Amino acid sequence: MGGFIYRWRRPIIIVLVIMVVSLSLSFTARVHGKVVALSNLIGTVVSPASSTLAYVGEKVGSGVGTVGQLFTLEHETVQLKQKLLLYNSMKLELSELSQQNSQLRGLLALKASSAGWRLKAASVISRNPDNWYQTVVINQGRTSGVKDGMAVIVPQGVVGRVISTTPVTATVMLILDPNSGVGAQDVRSQSAGVINGRDPVTGTLSFQLFAHRPDITPGDAVVTSGYSQYYPAGLLIGQVQSVRKAAYGLTETAVVRPAVNFNQLNNVMVVLSHPSGTSLPPIYGGSR
Amino acid sequence: MWQFRIPTWIILYLLAILVETALLPQIFPVGWVPNLVLPVTIIIALYETPRRGLAAGLIGGLMQDVWAGRLWGLNALTFALVGFLVANLESRIVRDNIFVPGLLAGLAQLLVVPFQWGVLHMVGLHFGWSAFMRPLPVWLLFSMLVTPAIGGLLGFRPRHEVDRKYARTAMSRSGISRSR
Repeated sequence: MGGFIYRWRRPIIIVLVIMVVSLSLSFTARVHGKVVALSNLIGTVVSPASSTLAYVGEKVGSGVGTVGQLFTLEHETVQLKQKLLLYNSMKLELSELSQQNSQLRGLLALKASSAGWRLKAASVISRNPDNWYQTVVINQGRTSGVKDGMAVIVPQGVVGRVISTTPVTATVMLILDPNSGVGAQDVRSQSAGVINGRDPVTGTLSFQLFAHRPDITPGDAVVTSGYSQYYPAGLLIGQVQSVRKAAYGLTETAVVRPAVNFNQLNNVMVVLSHPSGTSLPPIYGGSR
Repeated sequence: MWQFRIPTWIILYLLAILVETALLPQIFPVGWVPNLVLPVTIIIALYETPRRGLAAGLIGGLMQDVWAGRLWGLNALTFALVGFLVANLESRIVRDNIFVPGLLAGLAQLLVVPFQWGVLHMVGLHFGWSAFMRPLPVWLLFSMLVTPAIGGLLGFRPRHEVDRKYARTAMSRSGISRSR
């Protein structure tokens, strides 16, 4: 008997396994719900371990992924930094161009509104090395028709007058200069006087009034009077900031803030000639 | 040896005035533009005899006066005095390439502005004292920083050091030629 089993052990084991599997399949098919419950029970028991393993696996996977991404990110950061630099420089360039455009538009508007006037555009190329003399050098000279005494203006108002020329450049004395004198009048009250450079640091002007009791108040606009041999009438000089009695109280002097921003004086117009008796509208608006 | 030649000084002053009139006004507002002739005068005078220091200041000042086109002599007188004083002081104080030029520039700036205010007052230009002095702190700081920087950039050295170097070079050359 023992010899028979031993000889046929493999087929017997295979048949038994098939029988057990068949019985198991048949039994579990019949008690399906309990099998699922059992499976759930096992799942519940091993779930902490499963979830821990899953967590660890996920972290390891993401860590490996992050290490891989580091090289990509580094490359992307360099690219983004380059783009940012490019955008910043473009932004700066744009703001500079916008400012330049605004100035040039102002000059064009000035030229358009001054029909009959001969104006020559020029750029400021240098300033006086001494801070108490306010002169600038422009890049137009005798060959362009610029002569001594010609008025220099910008859309915002009066800049000064030409005091010396070379064939290719001209020196312009700004109205801020202590030696500059411009015949001026208050637009509201028509009080007349002379505008002089007052303070090279604050950049304000001194308006010495002729009348003993002139009618002038802070906020008044001051324009060229036309009595000057250099400046056409009606050009905006600035706005009255304060009024005070001069020495001994005989006359009054007003402090005038110039309409022109002399810190940003890059392009100007030289008045080559203008029809006598005509005047420009005093306020142009400049940047529009 | 180039640092002791007058054409070198003229070129340096020319560059300084060019920068001062064309470049610095783009950075500093009207009335606040610092002077560059002063630092150059101090750097030159630091390594010169008082007489040559005076000459250097005179040249620089005169160039600025001619450039400005107004009171000829105002800056010439001022910077000639500065050059003379700096060259005189140089032999009495410790030699240093950063602090001494900076300190001397600061002191010179402190003296120059009131001196020029006085001269302008005498010739009839009556500027308000407070308005005239307002940019002084900016100019003081500028000259104290820029003077050592210009000195370092130019690499100026005392005459005896330069002469010794040339003498050594000449001796070694003559030694080589003798041995040959």
